[in-house]
Amino acid sequence: MSVAAIYFDGESSRKHAVTLNMAATLEITEDGKDLAAWPYGEIRRADGPKNVMRLKSSSAAPLARLEIRDPAAQVEIGKLCGGLAREAGDDVSTLRIVFWSLGAVVSILAVIWFGLPVFAERVTPFVPASLENRIGDVADRQMHALFGTKTCIAPEGVQALDKLVGTLTRTAGLDMTRAPAVLDTAIPNAVALPGGKVYVLKGLLDKAQSPDEVAGVLAHELGHIAHRDGVRRLIQDGSSSFLVGLLFGDVTGASVALTAGRGMLTSAYSRDAEAKADLFAGDLMGKLGRSPKPLGDLLMRITGPQTDNPLAIFASHPLSADRLAMLEKNQVTVTGQELLTPAEWRALKAICQKP
Amino acid sequence: MNEIVTSLPVSAPAERRAKAAFTGQNGDFRRLITRGTLLELATCGFYRFWLAARTRRHLWTHTELEGDAFEYTGTGRELLIGFLFALAILVPFYLAYFLVGLEVERLKAFASLPLVVFIYGFSQFAVYRARRYRLNRTTWRGIRFWMDGSGIAYACRAFGWAFLVGLTLGLAHPWREASLERYKMRHTHYGDLPGRFEATGGSFFKRGWWIWALSLVPVAGYGLIIGSAAYAGMHAKTGEMTPAATALVGVGILTGLLSFLLIPFLYGAYKATEWKWWLEGIRFGELRVASDLRRGQMIGNYWKLIGVGALVTTIIGIVDICGAFLAQHLGVDFAAWGAQMKAGHIPPLMIAAYLAAYLPLILAISIVNRIYLVQRIWKMVVNSVTVCHIEAADAVVAKGDLVSALGEGLADSLDVAAF
Repeated sequence: MSVAAIYFDGESSRKHAVTLNMAATLEITEDGKDLAAWPYGEIRRADGPKNVMRLKSSSAAPLARLEIRDPAAQVEIGKLCGGLAREAGDDVSTLRIVFWSLGAVVSILAVIWFGLPVFAERVTPFVPASLENRIGDVADRQMHALFGTKTCIAPEGVQALDKLVGTLTRTAGLDMTRAPAVLDTAIPNAVALPGGKVYVLKGLLDKAQSPDEVAGVLAHELGHIAHRDGVRRLIQDGSSSFLVGLLFGDVTGASVALTAGRGMLTSAYSRDAEAKADLFAGDLMGKLGRSPKPLGDLLMRITGPQTDNPLAIFASHPLSADRLAMLEKNQVTVTGQELLTPAEWRALKAICQKP
Repeated sequence: MNEIVTSLPVSAPAERRAKAAFTGQNGDFRRLITRGTLLELATCGFYRFWLAARTRRHLWTHTELEGDAFEYTGTGRELLIGFLFALAILVPFYLAYFLVGLEVERLKAFASLPLVVFIYGFSQFAVYRARRYRLNRTTWRGIRFWMDGSGIAYACRAFGWAFLVGLTLGLAHPWREASLERYKMRHTHYGDLPGRFEATGGSFFKRGWWIWALSLVPVAGYGLIIGSAAYAGMHAKTGEMTPAATALVGVGILTGLLSFLLIPFLYGAYKATEWKWWLEGIRFGELRVASDLRRGQMIGNYWKLIGVGALVTTIIGIVDICGAFLAQHLGVDFAAWGAQMKAGHIPPLMIAAYLAAYLPLILAISIVNRIYLVQRIWKMVVNSVTVCHIEAADAVVAKGDLVSALGEGLADSLDVAAF
């Protein structure tokens, strides 16, 4: 049987109108002249338009192509060549792509979950203090951008704050180079930046009922500084968002699914860090002969009772009730003297009032 | 040499012209993209390499010139490997970038600008190498296209031009396009047939200056909206809003909004002008390209994109609202979710609901985008093309080696890859 076809030899763009002879091999001839002979076993499908059977041969030039348009001849060739069953193009089956992709996702998540905490733990000690201070300065500017630059400066209040922090840092043996400050915002929180800067937000002072509550919060934040949690967190967050962002690209869907996942992962680290900072605070208050329990009381007042929830793993801090219970365990009988006099306490509460 | 050439008998073959044609079916592409987008979701994005390869294969194999279809021989696996190599280069780079950025950011808030510039230059390098890879996998009549030239030289040019364009408020854009395209086409070959680019910045400017001028209308419209709103805000405070002033503000905002309707027209006209100018500047030896692409076609396509996008969004929005009502009817307490959020918890049902409502929308929008911004434009452009002096490509000899997909990998990681 002989069939008309189009042949390109892959060496030149010349178009050959050829005749195919289905002998022992597929003989390609033009005007009686032999151009090529393709063994049936080496013939593969190449990507072509609909209704055109485009073929290549593994022994011919890589771009040599044979195009058959006649449907009957296409069937005939299909019978002779065993290698035509597979579709042209993709080198890997879709099922394998899906399988290996999911494998890759699992392994990346495992690296983020198990590998990065260890990585950050090991790398943090090698971050020089000077670099940490620089990160702190950048974070400081961001804090001001976020909450405004209104630092509270009533002189008696600043004095009281310095006294309180001084007592705590001396006892903890921390060398603080940056003075703590109060920011005028209603959010009840406190933040320790890398490099040792502590910010107390005014909302927290408003909710506090005793110097020990504020001292507890400050001790907790000093715990973060002592443990260099800021740097560790930066390394963990940076690396995980880097991995997730770079590997998955900015692709439909993937980012949505992974944002939830990443929130869970990073908050898991921070929950561990928070628990350790609480321990540090309990220990420090104990050294001063004061109870750490007021810290727990203040937390409960701020967050209100939180119901337990299977999704607690999403929360960045342990539940307040758990923290209160943990701090109560460290309860000591109060032996030390008050950390602030009543007058100093009033001055601290009024630190944001204009004279 | 010259003497010999001129002394030969003149036997120039008659000029042959061929119309290009796109033979693909819209339905086939829609199915390919829908399936690919769903697989991208199922594989957390990894399928994107294979989808890109499949998309290009579909487009090229259904593009015909003188009855012979093109072929795209690139594979998803190549793209994946290129991407992994790019990662190996970029990871240390990003780390260094972070540390240097930290250092200079401390000195001055905007001191990291040179780094942004560096990233821009790097992305231009990637753009060049990505084009080189894609062209290298494109073949016609058993001969591949290929590119030489240097990505670094290209990046330097692109950077210099970006500076000039900024300096001239965009007026230098046509000359930038012409100069960069000249560099790319000068290093482009089909077998042993060298390419070049003959269109000039001046001709692009002559065709498109009025679009640039008209684009000031929506900009002015935006200013009008902001101005009207500011005026209303100022007078609402002092309680001096007379009915006449209210009407004035209303007219101002409405006129501003109406001017936004110009944007799809202007963008469509600009794209059509750019495509036609680019096509008509292409040369391969004697071979040249003509195009009868009309601005109306391109504008129509953008309006279709907007229309279909709005329709899909509306339908999914209605389904979502019905779903929410049904869920409330079945006893889901939405108010409780807000309370739980405040307490620092995210209800699991809320995440599920969010995904159920949001995912179909972004998937649908991404499918619509790919159909109208990739396949429909490809089809329109291909069908507009007539190749003159196609006999110049009759006996081209194969030349040019395979190159790796590293450039494409870099472009992908830097998020500058075209479709």
